[in-house]
Amino acid sequence: MYLTRKTGEMEKILEIKNLYVGRIDGTKILPVLNNIELSIYKGELFCLVGESGSGKTTLALSIIRLLPKSFRILSGEIILCNKKITGISEELIRGLRGKLVSMIFQDPGAYLDPLFNIDTHLRESFHGNPVEFNQLKIKVITEVGLSPEILSVYPHQLSGGQQQRVLIAMALINNPSIIIADEPTTALDVLTTKQIIKLLDQIRIKHNPGMLFITHDLNLALSTGTRIGIMYRGCIVEIFKPNKEKPLHPYTKILMGYSEENHSDISDTTLMDTKQETDEKCIFFERCPEKKPLCNRKVDFIWRDETTGIRCIKYGQNSQM
Amino acid sequence: MRNFLGRLKKYSKVSYFSFWFLIIFYLVSFFADILIPYHFDYQFRDKPYHPPSKIHFIDTEGRFHIKPFVYETFVDDPIFRTYKENYSVRYPIKFLVDGPERNVFFIFKTKKYLFGVDAPAGIFLFGTDTYGRDIFSRLLYGSRISLSISIIGVLISFVLGMITGGFAGYFGGITDQVLMRIVEILMVFPSFYLMLSLRAMFPLNLSSIQVYFLIVMILSLIGWAGLARIIRGMVLSIKEEDYVLAARSLGLSHWRILVFHILPNTFSYTITAITISVPGYIIGESALSLLGLGIQEPYPSWGNILSSTVGNIRVISDAPWLLLAGAFIFIILINFNILGDALRNVLDPKNW
Ligand SMILES: Nc1ncnc2c1ncn2[C@@H]1O[C@H](COP(=O)(O)OP(=O)(O)OP(=O)(O)O)[C@@H](O)[C@H]1O
Ligand SMILES: [Mg+2]
Repeated sequence: MYLTRKTGEMEKILEIKNLYVGRIDGTKILPVLNNIELSIYKGELFCLVGESGSGKTTLALSIIRLLPKSFRILSGEIILCNKKITGISEELIRGLRGKLVSMIFQDPGAYLDPLFNIDTHLRESFHGNPVEFNQLKIKVITEVGLSPEILSVYPHQLSGGQQQRVLIAMALINNPSIIIADEPTTALDVLTTKQIIKLLDQIRIKHNPGMLFITHDLNLALSTGTRIGIMYRGCIVEIFKPNKEKPLHPYTKILMGYSEENHSDISDTTLMDTKQETDEKCIFFERCPEKKPLCNRKVDFIWRDETTGIRCIKYGQNSQM
Repeated sequence: MRNFLGRLKKYSKVSYFSFWFLIIFYLVSFFADILIPYHFDYQFRDKPYHPPSKIHFIDTEGRFHIKPFVYETFVDDPIFRTYKENYSVRYPIKFLVDGPERNVFFIFKTKKYLFGVDAPAGIFLFGTDTYGRDIFSRLLYGSRISLSISIIGVLISFVLGMITGGFAGYFGGITDQVLMRIVEILMVFPSFYLMLSLRAMFPLNLSSIQVYFLIVMILSLIGWAGLARIIRGMVLSIKEEDYVLAARSLGLSHWRILVFHILPNTFSYTITAITISVPGYIIGESALSLLGLGIQEPYPSWGNILSSTVGNIRVISDAPWLLLAGAFIFIILINFNILGDALRNVLDPKNW
């Protein structure tokens, strides 16, 4: 299924429409992702920020269709480079992984097979003509800032930063249209984090893929991202451009320290509860300092323009309440 | 391979020695046809229970000879069957001597033997048995049967275990259920009785080639089940590893992930396990042959060489060289155990 989806000059690489993902627990289906609306354009660095358990990894894994067994895509569409990837067979999606979309993971050591050296890892990642591989591997490995000698080395002989660079090289080798990085720097120290972020940014500028960068560090996102998505309990509550506009959603404002949380109604259960009654009220209802009686109903994500949007009744419509 | 040997040597000198010992032992047994001084079936009727020949360099007059030689022997005491040497003629050990025609590697016929002495003297490095057959030749020839049964049996078990364990663990569901129930059925029987009853399903008067393959099949059928179960367990845990998720995110097929990423990660265990299990196959063959259900006379195997000693207490005091087959089984067993232990360490990249 080929569709042309272009917005002005920008090419949409990834489009997610009204995605619901649930986890099957016995006979119940617990919602994990609700009403996700997201699109990523060529050459941008989209940062997805959210607290632990908000569903960031689940979202990333839905995009490459590698959700754990107990997870199901309940409804919605994911369109990757004009190809609808929800509802297509495992065989078809396999051909796209690595080529159209690559993933970089949080704990680099665990994601490298201990039995194989780096050369084999790159060879496994590479989908193209094997004849080109020998040139390409040198190019890629130097591009991520490693020396070619490292090719004969085994994963456990590398430092965390080096391992992460190897994973980046593996993601890069097929020159994919979109790279998803799931908290790639969480296991690394501050200085190495800076280097890796810089490397990812260089790659983005040079090869122009779309990048979905997942982190729980809002400051990092503010300083590097071209757009930022804020996730809260399985929903994207706001998408904004950090240097153009001020975020409006009450949750974002709390994260950025602009306002104080409403502690009065929160109990532990509401924080831990993943069974969100999104049909009944706004997901942020309990913690929201700006809540109104009107918020006691279902709230959908509303696009403000092509690239930004919010999930809030108060700021969603242009009409102020 | 070089790396492997280096690591093995570094890990322990003893295991390095075991490795080469086993290689040489297997090579020698492979070339048994060439190395034997007598055909395994050739009988010296007048020399039953002959002790190992004495090899001399110095004759009765005290002269030194550069070529070692033996003397002809004759029965000295018919009751206790002791032999005496006849010092009148020296029989120097020669290379490439003529003898009865025989088959080598089932391919060509020859009358040449690698070494020997002129008739009527005989050279018996390890003595002779009841029929006056050279034990050295029989042990060597028998080692080819016993050791090849063990290696082929282990390889078949390994492949079967890998395939069933890998499939069951990776794909799970109904495949897993069916395969594991089969494995459990095989495992509930004590292996020795299973072996006997499997053998009992076939007629006794099979040709030696048929018996050979029957034993290989029986032994590997018994061996693969345990291996399959353990490999399944390992695959179950390895498939949850992050690097498998990473491999999937690279777009690799299930087949490639299973064969190239999951099964190799079980190798450090499985190779160790099969190394340690090789002696079990040798003993299994011996046990069958010992009971007369395995390799049949006149073909020698370590098992049926040992079986000639069963129920014959006098052998132990009068002809202990007949027990050498047991000693060989023991030596092989020890070396495989030492090697297996070392392999567990050496094959794990984390220890490199
Ligand atoms: N394998 C799993 N089995 C069951 N539940 C899971 C599993 N993985 C995640 N979950 C649940 O799914 C929800 C979303 O988890 P997810 O891993 O997507 O969060 P996250 O935003 O990536 O968190 P973090 O920042 O800690 O990585 C959580 O409520 C979590 O409890
Ligand atoms: Mg996560």
